Amino acid sequence: MKNQKTTILIIEDEKNICEFMSTSLTGHGYKIITAQTAKEGISLVTSQCPDLILLDLGLPDKDGICVIEQVRNWSLIPIIVISARTQEKDKVLALDLGADDYITKPFGIEELLARIRTALRHSNMAGSSSQAKIFKAKGLKINFDKRIVTINDEPVHFTQIEFKIIALLAKHSGKVLTYDFIMKQIWGPYMEEDNRILRVNMANIRRKIGNNPAEPQYIFTEVGIGYRMIEEDDITNGS
Amino acid sequence: MIHFTFSPLQIKRFFTNLLITFIILAVITASSFYLLQITSNSACIILQYILGLVLIARYTDGYWYGIFASLISIFCVNFLFTYPYFAFNFTLSGYPITFFCMSFISLITSLTTTNLKKQTKVALEREKLLQEAEKEKLRANLLRAVSHDLRTPLTGIIGSSATYLENKERLSEAAKTDLVTNIFEDSNFLLNMVENLLSVTRISCNNATVSKALESVEEVVSEALLRFKKRVPTATVNVTVPAEVIFLPMDAVLIEQVLINLLENAVFHSKSTRPIECQVIESVKEVSFHIIDYGVGICEEEIDTIFDGTVYNDNNSNSHKGMGIGLSICKTIILAHQGTIIAKNHKEGAEFIFSLPKESD
Repeated sequence: MKNQKTTILIIEDEKNICEFMSTSLTGHGYKIITAQTAKEGISLVTSQCPDLILLDLGLPDKDGICVIEQVRNWSLIPIIVISARTQEKDKVLALDLGADDYITKPFGIEELLARIRTALRHSNMAGSSSQAKIFKAKGLKINFDKRIVTINDEPVHFTQIEFKIIALLAKHSGKVLTYDFIMKQIWGPYMEEDNRILRVNMANIRRKIGNNPAEPQYIFTEVGIGYRMIEEDDITNGS
Repeated sequence: MIHFTFSPLQIKRFFTNLLITFIILAVITASSFYLLQITSNSACIILQYILGLVLIARYTDGYWYGIFASLISIFCVNFLFTYPYFAFNFTLSGYPITFFCMSFISLITSLTTTNLKKQTKVALEREKLLQEAEKEKLRANLLRAVSHDLRTPLTGIIGSSATYLENKERLSEAAKTDLVTNIFEDSNFLLNMVENLLSVTRISCNNATVSKALESVEEVVSEALLRFKKRVPTATVNVTVPAEVIFLPMDAVLIEQVLINLLENAVFHSKSTRPIECQVIESVKEVSFHIIDYGVGICEEEIDTIFDGTVYNDNNSNSHKGMGIGLSICKTIILAHQGTIIAKNHKEGAEFIFSLPKESD
């Protein structure tokens, strides 16, 4: 990893945004290639094999959603979708079609870097079978094997379902998981559409791991989309 | 003759018109037969056919069907109802006059009704245009108010960046930082403004309603708070939500916008650094959200008009004047939720309260 730079492909038609992203990402040691259209983007994915794709959903020639579908046909390259605030449906669709994460315009460069790190970490981990056995973040510790959750070394008791949810979120920490994805993972594919049961469980989890349900520390809500667990400690600075 | 370009729709119209013509003629002929049985008065029969012609002219398009029907009528009257029965005899005295009159009547009624239909159509279109114009006027007024608020930060951004670009060499590092900071602040203000305006487009224009979904109140509040803190990192907010989970029908994006606007309003207009309180209180029929600040409070004369979007406090010369529009957008959003929003002063500052009904209908 040291001598070979991580390549990021930016598919974005706005020249200014493209420029600002590539300038600051280059400054952080990434190699950047850019494409203005979906067609150009897809051909660059095949020819350059980037390590990560930043994809704007509103492209001039095709919907960005098509790019996700096409790339996911043959590749697991992490894709981070860039979208505007008001398009929750597009975000959910993009995530359900296989995008790894999304970031809402306008975003700070810190936020973008964090998302990129998370996505790269997950894609690296997918290759190796050595999944971490313990999750640690800001005093929250989850032992997946022993099914024990502690906060500041105080054990917290969870129901079966609650533990499944929190473990699932922790395994994908830093990444947003859609309601649909969580529902299918926890309750199986035949669960009804209503995700209220999930949100009630989430409310209970929030009460168990934090003092104030309106100021969560570990699990954040992306209203209309899903949940995101806080990034794991230590790993963010490594590799 | 009749000039048809054969689009399926036109063919369909043609057959419908033809059908109408024949049905009316058949009914008239049948009733004439019946009448002839009882009265044997043929004048009555002519009148009936004329009635038929008027009806045909009324319910078909154009005048060709009327003329066609008048021809048929004349043959029918001649063949069926004048002596010798069931035979044509065009030598009867005055027959050309009857023929001429019937054609003329059908032509005139057809023309009149066609004209009438056209006029109704034109009138309807004009009404539509007037309504559009009215909507357009409202939109223009809003645009005027908004562009005023947009121009100020834009002027700042353009001015600062131009200064930077033109005097790059002569400016000190501190001055450069100042300029860029100005640009950053102004553009953030613009962003806030644009997000407010965008949120209004989520409210359906026709009946001023929103698409609601059951949302968990604490999740909406916590996300709003997160976004607010990203925008104003220095602010502190104390939040209290009920211990029970509340699900409330709402458009979460819009309610978050309201919360952010009210919180921002509290930060920038209270002139106080004491933490802002944000409380959610559940009652039987509704859930109320309280945003309480401990600052200078609201001017008494402004309390009634604070949500109208026209408040421009003259002695308040900070860069957050656009809040007038922010508050009016809050009101629009809450009203679209069939809720209520009020502003009042308490002993140590201002309090904004909005309530949303629990049942959607």
